[in-house]
Amino acid sequence: MKRTVVLSALLLSSLAVAAPGSWRGTITMSAADYAPNFPGQAKPLKVFQQIAAEYEKKYPGIKIKFHTEPIPDTNTMIRVKAAAGDLFDIYWAQAYSLNSTLPKGVATDLAPYFKQPNPYIPGNKAWQDAMDKAQLAESRSANGAVYTLSGDKVVYGIYYNKDLFKKAGITKVPTSWPELIAASKKLNAAGVYPMHAVPAYPWWSRHFLSDLYAKDYAKLTGYDGLPGQSPLDEAVAISKGILTPKDKRFMSWWPVMKQFTDTWPKDYLTADPAKNYDAFQDFVGQKEAMLYEGSYKAREMQDAGVKFAVGTFNFPKLTKKESPYATGANTANAYAGTGGFQYAMSTPQSNKSLREKGKQQAVLDWMRYFGTPKNLQRLTAEQGTYVPTWPGTSAKLGGLGNFDSGALAAQVKLPERSIGVQTATANLGWVDMQRIFGLYLSGNITLAQAEKQVQTTLDRAAADFARKNNVNLSRYK
Amino acid sequence: MTALPGTRSAPPASRRGPLARLREGWPAYLFLLPTLLVVGYFSYYPAYVAVTRAFTDWDGLNTPNFTGLENFQRALTDPVMGQAALNLAIWVAAGLLLAVVPPLLIAELIFHLRGRRRQYAYRTLFVLPIVIPSLVLLLVWGSFYRSDGLLNTLLGAVGLEGLRHDWLSDLDTALPSLIFLGFPYIDAFNFLLIYAGLQNIPDEVFDAARLDGATGWRRVLRIDLPLLRPQLALIAVLAIIGNVQYFISPLVLTSGGPGFATTVPALLMYYTATRDGEYGYAMAIAVLLMIVVVVLTAFSRLLSRGNR
Repeated sequence: MKRTVVLSALLLSSLAVAAPGSWRGTITMSAADYAPNFPGQAKPLKVFQQIAAEYEKKYPGIKIKFHTEPIPDTNTMIRVKAAAGDLFDIYWAQAYSLNSTLPKGVATDLAPYFKQPNPYIPGNKAWQDAMDKAQLAESRSANGAVYTLSGDKVVYGIYYNKDLFKKAGITKVPTSWPELIAASKKLNAAGVYPMHAVPAYPWWSRHFLSDLYAKDYAKLTGYDGLPGQSPLDEAVAISKGILTPKDKRFMSWWPVMKQFTDTWPKDYLTADPAKNYDAFQDFVGQKEAMLYEGSYKAREMQDAGVKFAVGTFNFPKLTKKESPYATGANTANAYAGTGGFQYAMSTPQSNKSLREKGKQQAVLDWMRYFGTPKNLQRLTAEQGTYVPTWPGTSAKLGGLGNFDSGALAAQVKLPERSIGVQTATANLGWVDMQRIFGLYLSGNITLAQAEKQVQTTLDRAAADFARKNNVNLSRYK
Repeated sequence: MTALPGTRSAPPASRRGPLARLREGWPAYLFLLPTLLVVGYFSYYPAYVAVTRAFTDWDGLNTPNFTGLENFQRALTDPVMGQAALNLAIWVAAGLLLAVVPPLLIAELIFHLRGRRRQYAYRTLFVLPIVIPSLVLLLVWGSFYRSDGLLNTLLGAVGLEGLRHDWLSDLDTALPSLIFLGFPYIDAFNFLLIYAGLQNIPDEVFDAARLDGATGWRRVLRIDLPLLRPQLALIAVLAIIGNVQYFISPLVLTSGGPGFATTVPALLMYYTATRDGEYGYAMAIAVLLMIVVVVLTAFSRLLSRGNR
């Protein structure tokens, strides 16, 4: 035990030193949406390569090699390459996956390094001081480890085809739920699908729940003593029966959402959200008028050659008319997931090359170099579809030439307040809740039946969270 | 012991030990060795790993932790597994019928066509679709089942609007829709197997049956079916194994939904491993499936022997 502590301390102190040390060689990186020189793109990105070139110039003998091949299934790639000890030195991965479904040992716990100064940020005492505190807390696993360096977020909104709205006689974008449903009916009458997608529970629920539980925000995010709603906060709220059907607010919005999805074709209502790709194709092909998606879609539309005028509007406000529990809070930005700047570092177990003396220190140093607010700003400004989250950075949403991103830009300025139930366990939001949600929206089950199934699902999720993380949920007040 | 005709009687037991016999036949064993090693490593070793790790909590990367029967207990008490097992039972029963009946009917019809060229042409026609990748067929059927797909369009065209349906998103129709996709269900392999079986029946048997007045359905029931028993038994066994392990169409078309209406244990196993990263639990499901396959196969063999 003592030996482990001493070795860990030595390792930490050696990594705390600035500069990559004496190691020289190639650092491999899968930068995902920020990958420079990705083949086949209308306007290939350059900034990450420029940052890498600056670093290479500073430390001759170190090369940064970016992976520029498509990765269709990131988690499978991580599992397979890690099992072979051949994972990239640095790679994009969802913090949520690293905390729940991916094996421990594929990524290094970065939390200790976040507490150390980043020498590439002038005057910095601890790297985490330059980061977004809520995002950092939300990325934290139950044991305190943080596996990703996260610096941006995706903002979600409703894209709409201006021509199709005009065709249906809609002159004003919806700002309330009755207006959204009325517009959908008008589109249907004009022979246009309003939407054609799998209604992703985690996305929509965040908006509704953040409104309905707005008054309890501090309580629901405060169980772990950190800002933002972590999986632990979520599990505690479930175990207390607050984020469950026992609380009347929890599912009061389902009939409102059903009213909306009743105007959609039913094919996708019960499907897996991973199969949403047809919805995007239908939007690009002008078969549907609206698309509820992330800011990354603007760039994809550009790559798909969209020529028609695209506008955006935000999640419409709820009123007491839709739900007696509505608080009227503006929850347009409630679902803003972590985005493309979300990088993990391999371990000597998942990447044998990190067993080379000094390489880990060099890789960490490269992370520190590109992981500054200045470089994050450069990267997001060029990419144009993600919002940087670190203090001192600002959003530069770009995308299509004929894309009106005004609503998304306005959303970014709202204070961050988000409540949901989706991340406590791997099977929760995107899987089991999604199934029940789809069954209800498609008319296969009643609200009462749905409530019963949801309660069972949530009880199991909280129990799984407590068992897997060895946490006593009842000790939280 | 009298040897059966056509078989060689067993040589007298050697008094020499196994090592001496191994030494005597070493060139043959040497030639067999690479094949045995490859089969052992790629076929038997994974099965061994699956069985042993079914008793562990394994994430696919780190050292497995022995958890005893916990995974099996979890699988047997999981309500989703209950629904999946029920779906599987329906799938196996229906799949068995579809694997045997349509190929049998078509093989009978083609076999009794007059003219070899005609037989050849029809045979080719039914075997030709084998070249189309199954994924393409699945995606085409997925489009047939859409609310604006071929099936609903056809129903509307013939005045049966009332029967139009959201086939894959309705709890009642999703599973039958998946089981019954692939009309007219002529599996080329099964069809050729039965056809070859019919060709193996000597002409004298058909002539004698004809003289005894066994024609049409009577001939099929009294002559063809009993003589096709080995082929039909093989098809039955393969259909059981195939259907117990099958999960491609729910994976591609419904992801096991709506709800869990089209979830089968093999799909649960796949998701547990690839999506949830619970390899130990997935392997326990795989072992349970293996036991089901063995039991059903033994049962099917017992039935086919019992009728002899």
